[in-house]
Order: sequence, then structure tokens, then C-alpha cells
Amino acid sequence: MTPPAKVPVTILTGFLGSGKTTLLNRILSEEHGKRIAVIENEYGEVGIDQALVINADEEIFEMSNGCICCTVRGDLIRVLGNLMKRRDKFDYVLVETTGLADPGPVAQTFFMDDEIRAEFALDGIVTLVDAGHIEQQLGRSDESTEQIAFADVLVLNKTDLADHDRLDQLEARLRDMNRMARVVRSEKANIPIETVLNLSAFDLDSMLERRPSFLEPEYPFEWTGTYTLQPGRYALRLAEGPDPEMSLVAVANQGSSDTELREGAEWCVRRYAEEAEALLPDADLPIDKHINLQLQASGHKSFFLQVDAPMQLGLFAQHTAEEFDIQLLNTADDAVVPVQAERTWVAQHEHDDEVGSFAIERDGDVDSDKINAWLGKLLRESGVDIFRMKGFISLAGEANRFVFQGVHMLFDGQPERPWGDEVRRSQLVFIGRNLDEASIRQGFDECLV
Amino acid sequence: MSDQTARGALRPGWSAIVDDYAIAGDWALNGALLVVGDAAGSVFGFEGTSGTIRWQKRALHSSGLLAMAMHPDGDRFATAGQDGQVHICGADDGAVRHTIDLGRGWVEHLAWSSDGNQLAAAMSRRVYVSDASGTLLWQSDDHPSTVSALAWSGAEQLATACYGRVSFFEATSGELAQKLEWKGSLVSLILSPDGDIVACGSQDNSVHFWRRSTGEDSMMHGYPGKPSNLSFDQSGSLLATGGGKTVTVWNFAGSGPEGTRPGELEMHVQPITALSFAHQGRRIASGGRDGGVVAWSLQSGGNGVAIGAAFVGELIGGLAWRPDDRCLAAFDASGGVTVWRIHRQ
Repeated sequence: MTPPAKVPVTILTGFLGSGKTTLLNRILSEEHGKRIAVIENEYGEVGIDQALVINADEEIFEMSNGCICCTVRGDLIRVLGNLMKRRDKFDYVLVETTGLADPGPVAQTFFMDDEIRAEFALDGIVTLVDAGHIEQQLGRSDESTEQIAFADVLVLNKTDLADHDRLDQLEARLRDMNRMARVVRSEKANIPIETVLNLSAFDLDSMLERRPSFLEPEYPFEWTGTYTLQPGRYALRLAEGPDPEMSLVAVANQGSSDTELREGAEWCVRRYAEEAEALLPDADLPIDKHINLQLQASGHKSFFLQVDAPMQLGLFAQHTAEEFDIQLLNTADDAVVPVQAERTWVAQHEHDDEVGSFAIERDGDVDSDKINAWLGKLLRESGVDIFRMKGFISLAGEANRFVFQGVHMLFDGQPERPWGDEVRRSQLVFIGRNLDEASIRQGFDECLV
Repeated sequence: MSDQTARGALRPGWSAIVDDYAIAGDWALNGALLVVGDAAGSVFGFEGTSGTIRWQKRALHSSGLLAMAMHPDGDRFATAGQDGQVHICGADDGAVRHTIDLGRGWVEHLAWSSDGNQLAAAMSRRVYVSDASGTLLWQSDDHPSTVSALAWSGAEQLATACYGRVSFFEATSGELAQKLEWKGSLVSLILSPDGDIVACGSQDNSVHFWRRSTGEDSMMHGYPGKPSNLSFDQSGSLLATGGGKTVTVWNFAGSGPEGTRPGELEMHVQPITALSFAHQGRRIASGGRDGGVVAWSLQSGGNGVAIGAAFVGELIGGLAWRPDDRCLAAFDASGGVTVWRIHRQ
């Protein structure tokens, strides 16, 4: 007996006025040949030809154990349970929540209830954001924050209500809160149906295709350049730039391959964690130390480096070379030393919101017993603050990728396609409130084989 | 579709197919007829011995059937659906005798009082009670949530379950007689034959029960799933519960079931979806998501052995023993209706 394919479910959230009904109308009126059942809580005017629309009063059922992660939507369990009995089953289910809904219980319903779980799969959560009003809403309610944190797709709607710069800022803030979500902009919820249906929220690969940098760690420096230096005396010259000071670590013997640059970056993160030593212009640049170049004076400033034996110099700078027109000159002839390799990093920045997200990416296998124990403990202890997580794991001894997603302390995973020739690695994304990123990273690393 | 190679006590009888998921069914006319309703809203009357269709009513409920209840006399039955209607039909010809229109909503549960004089129907947060000819007698106020189950205590009181509460209403006046409260989503409800024990399956994978005579309540934890299916034997001493692949049987005789080990009946490979004690004795039938049907013979303590098993291939939506317990009918998700003769060893 092969298990029947589960019916995918999209959850549509967003504050009142964010455009949910407009989007719903668009989806339902588009020619897509799918049989869609819509379960809605707000009595909107939805014109339907090919879909079934069911109004269900939101019934939030808490459990006697008091755990918020076990809270489910009783009305959904009932309605979906009955829907699934029809032979002309639906290809798709869309659940619209009320504007003030906490998305947790809706999403949890698809993990918690064994009967629902057997028939349906949460495909994704789409949150509509009113570009003109979201900033006020974020300040006022936990629900709007959580709706953003839970989303797989954030539709930044009503873009006509904000200017371009403001939209960019808004998008950056949303991305901060939820790195996992794809952000799309729209004026009148006029987004293609593929944006909200069949998201395959499990699928991190498609997300990486869209945003290759989303799993990259953030670093306290933005730029790295490497130089091949012969013995001599060199000047690091900076023009005036955007900041009166800049942190820097100069590394001896820095390789230029991407792997070596990454290794160097990891090493420099620890240097950056040490207290910086202020360095005035014309001073000598110490190697392997966190220094803070004092750039208050006007005009060009230089710092010097004495090289006694050939070396590969790496500079890890808080700002890009471009911003300060950073140049390395040989003092013998004032010739510019060419950069051998350079790259920029995703810069760390202040996170204003309590809600944030981060990703872990590691090559190699993890021990399945260890990761089970670690995840179990993590979800038990921090499940309330972990809104969502998803990713894939390379389990030692397993031929297939293990994909998973979770909502609060609920976890759902399954073996997926075989690894084949692909490099075995793991990727995990966490979104939550006040998450202890460092300890979660460390916990995961301890599970590596 | 159906595999007729039954073993043991389950001997092949007949099988048939209805139009859609067979949601509910029961024996009528002293076992001469089997009435089956499907999700599309059609109802069929099959000759009990041959499976020949005596009558069929297509699209009795336009947008789908949700519940069916056989009258205790077996001469009529009630159906309810997504169209907000309840029909009372004659068993001999399937014709609608009376219709109750409750308005816009899904009528999800039906139950006849033991004397057959009253019919309770649950729609959304209310329960509606009518007489046997469909005249509405009373309706409840709004419950705290949608009513999830109904059960009669004889002909005197009607019990309803919803989130956080079991309510008892006086049969004639509709007055609220008793509330048993407990914070949890109650998904199933059953009363012992004497009406003293009230058992509910809960969304949090437990069974909660109360004894009305003493006011005591208890909770049985540890189910892997939610116990949607409950069945009492006719003596009221054994309560069989689903909530996983195992049928868990609690023994209420003596001081139990608190502090006792339940009987555990293991054969299904997927969760239980239907449970039904026979009308006499300690035989019980179980059906699963795996499409298996097992007949068990229990000891007084609740443990037991499988006396027959069959595989019909699709999730078992319901089971019904013929009034004389000589036949067992199963209704499945693909619309299959399978009847076995019970072989007496």
C-alpha cells in the first residue's frame, strides 16, 4: 500500500487591511486548473466558481498541559477531517486567518493532530504586509511580529503607500526578522499564484537559488583583501570615508582561495571579539591583532607595515576598500601593490527587533543520536521562542538527505532524495525570539561527526 | 478491491460499493437491511443477506452527508449533512418522512434517545432536539465551541461534548442539568449503559472520564494519538478506546480502571479508526487506517485474543454488528461495504 500524497495547505496571514481578501480573490479567479478549498475566518466577499469556500469560526483549543505549542485550531481539524472524506478531493487547501491571529496554532494543527497530519502537509505560510502601516503595527502587537516570523513568503503589499527608500528599509527590517522568507513586493496583491501555492517550504534548495547569500554567516567585517608581499616597508593608505574609525585585523600567511578566505574569516571573528587597540596614523600595523584605525584627521592617512620575509598578507576590514579607497603602497617606489584576491562578507548589523533569524551551514555528517538528543533538548527548552525552523541534515550512514521543518517544539522530518555525488552537508534555519545563536551553533557543531 | 480471504471467525459474506467514502452505516429491520450513507450525500439500503440493493437515495444531502443514526426500533433512520438539514427516513423504502431545516451550517452529529422518542442533532455550537416526527422540541444555547459529540443517557438526559466541557440537558425541557468541566478539546463521548460513566477522548491524546454518581474524575494518559473511537460493552464494565494502533481496553469492574493495567489488543499496523462491541458478550471489532478489520474475544479483565481478521484495503470508517451478532459490516474510505458472517467456534 503506497501512502496517498498529502494535500498541500497554504496559510494566509496578515493584518486587517493588508490585502488578504484581494489576494484570495485573485487566486480564486485565476485559471490554474486546481481544485482549491478555502477556509476563511473573515466573512469577505469572495466570488467563487471553481473553489469551495467554507467559513469556520476560529476555535483555538489549548491543551490541559498549558503548552502553547500544543494549541491547535479545532475548527480546522473538524472541517478538514470532513473535507477529506469526499472522493473529489481537493488539490489544495488555503486557510485564511483573522488579522489578529497568532499563526502558531494554525501551523501547529498540521503537526499536532495525527489524523490531519496523515492527510495534509503544511506547504507554506504567506504573510501579507501593508507597506504603509506595518511599522506602526510592529511596534504595537506581538501578532504582527509573529506573522512575519512565521512566514515562508512575505508579500510587501501596497507599495504605492511608501517611497522607494522606505520600502528598502522596510524590506531590510523584515529580512532581519525572518531570513528564511522570500520577500515579494506588490501594489494590489497582484502576485502570481505560484508565489503562494506549492511553496514546498521544506525545500531549502529553491530558496538558495533565489538568494544564494541567505545562509551565509554574518561577520563583523565587510571586506577582505590579500596581497603577496616581498621584504620591504609598506604603507596602508586610506582616504576619507564614512566612519571616523575602522576596525581591522592584518593576518600573516592568508591564502587566497575561497576556502582559505572562509577559514581566515572564522579565525578573524575571534580576533574581532577581542578588544581593539586604537592605532593613530603613521603608526606601525601589528599583525594578528584587532586594531581600530583612528581616521578623524582630514585627508589621507597611512599606517605602516615592516615585512622582513616574503608573506601573504590578509586584511580583514570593517568597511570595504572602496569606501576608504584603501591602498597598499610599497614605500620604496610608492607603487600600488595589487590585490591578489578580495571578497566581501555579509556584514553584521544591529538587530532592533527581538525577533530574528539565523542559519547554520556545515559540511560533513552529523551523528543521528547526538542530533536527536540535542534537538530534543533545544526544542524542550527553547521551543516556545523558536517560531519556525527548517532545513536538511546529512545523517552519518544514511544515503538520503533528511529534511525537516518545525513549529515551536513540534518537529516533522523525513528522508528525502539520495545524496548521490553531492557534497554532504547540513543547513538549518532558525527564526525566533531572543534566540541564543552562539549556543545553538555550538550545540549543532558538537553533533558533527 | 476487497480481499475476501478472511480468517477465523470472519467468513466471507457479501460486499458492495457505494458512491463515495462510506461515512456511516447500520443494520435496520432486525438485520434484514443494511443502510449505508456516503460522503457525497447518498444513502443505500442493502438486503442484509445478499447485499442486493433494495433502494438508493442519491444526493439526499446536496453538499454531502456528515452523520447517520439508526432509530432503536430499526424501522427508520436519521441523516444529516452540510446543507444544514436533518432527514428522518423510513428503512423499508428509504423515503424521507420528515425534514428538519436547521439553517446554514454543518449538522455533524445525530443521536436517538433510547426510547426512540427524541432525536438530537448538533450543528455548530448548538444542539437541537426534536420528536420522532421531526418537530423541534428545544434547542440549547451556544456551547463554548462547536459540539463535537452527542450521547443519550437513556431517554432522560442528553449529553454533549465540546471544548472544555460535557453538558447534560434534561430531555424534555432542555434545561442544563449538569456540567462536567475539564480544560481540553473533547473529541469523542460515550456513556456507560447505566449512564454513570462518562468517557471522552481528548485532543491531547488522553481519555478523561467521570462517574456521575460520585463526581470523581480521572484521566488516562499515554495514547500516541487522539482517542476518537470509544465503545462500551453492554455490561458497562469494559471500555475499548482507540488513539493509536493498539486497542486499549479499560476494566471498570471492581476498583478500576484507576491504577490498573488495561488490556492491549495489538494487530493493527496503523491507527484505529473504528471500534464496536457486539450487542452481547465480550466480542469487539476494530478497524484501522490500515484497512484491516479484526474481531476479538475479550476476557473479563480486558485482555483478549483475535478470533478473526480481514483486510479490505482502505481506512475503515465504521463497523456495525447485526442485532443478532451473526454478521459484521465494515464501511471504508473507498466506499466499500463488506459483510462477514461470524463463525462460532
